Amino acid sequence: MSIPIPQGMIDFAGQKQVDEISRIWLISSTVISFVAGFASQNIRVTFGFLGISTLLLFAVVIPPWPMFNKHPVTWLPSVGEKKKIKWTCGSYIL
Amino acid sequence: MHSIFSRINNVSALFSSCMMGLLVAISLSSFLLTAEPKGHLAISSVKVYPSKAPRYPRRKQEMAFVNFNVTADLTPLFNWNTKQLFVSLEAEYENTQGVKNEIVIWDRIVRSKDDAFIRIVGKNKYAFREISSTFKKIPSAHYALKYNVMPYVGLLTYGEAARTEEPVEFHIETRV
Repeated sequence: MSIPIPQGMIDFAGQKQVDEISRIWLISSTVISFVAGFASQNIRVTFGFLGISTLLLFAVVIPPWPMFNKHPVTWLPSVGEKKKIKWTCGSYIL
Repeated sequence: MHSIFSRINNVSALFSSCMMGLLVAISLSSFLLTAEPKGHLAISSVKVYPSKAPRYPRRKQEMAFVNFNVTADLTPLFNWNTKQLFVSLEAEYENTQGVKNEIVIWDRIVRSKDDAFIRIVGKNKYAFREISSTFKKIPSAHYALKYNVMPYVGLLTYGEAARTEEPVEFHIETRV
């Protein structure tokens, strides 16, 4: 018996949001951690800040929160009758 | 970014890139925070005594005994990227073949800024021998206090805190 792994799908708008959040968050927290550590002359501040902020980012971004599922894909209404389409290529009927 | 796995993959990939950039920045920052502390080194006596070579009972081997006096404030070397210092006192001399010898006769590992002020009146910690078993052909040696800065991230750097101005002669004693 295998344990079902949750897929955690989010929609396209959510994916774009996640990408932007993670990029801005990580790069800015890297810069802040360097500046903070340099100012306090303590390398523990640098890695502590970066580690904690990355864990927070994981908590924000990894689970499929409902805010990333606000824009479900709307499909076109289905055509009632299925037509048989003849595909041709030259004189051959495929 | 559609599933949990792909989000973990993307975020951790960007995290490792950021970490690489941060490590490079930290290692480059130690080039900005340079310090060259100077200390004082005095050699009070260098005496050479006849001795026996280890494992060879009939072979003669001379041993030098150095008494020294070191004062050096190495606290400026501790910046945010300094893990520890290796401080050593080295004897430097040229033998008759013209080979330069550097012999560590005393050393210490400084792990924190509180221990970085060094004030020692002591003698050599390690045996000071000449490979030709005698110091008769070697008139004198220079002594230097050297340090080695070990960073958390980046390059190992070397420096010298003190040096004897004049070469110090070996006083050869015939009896113990």
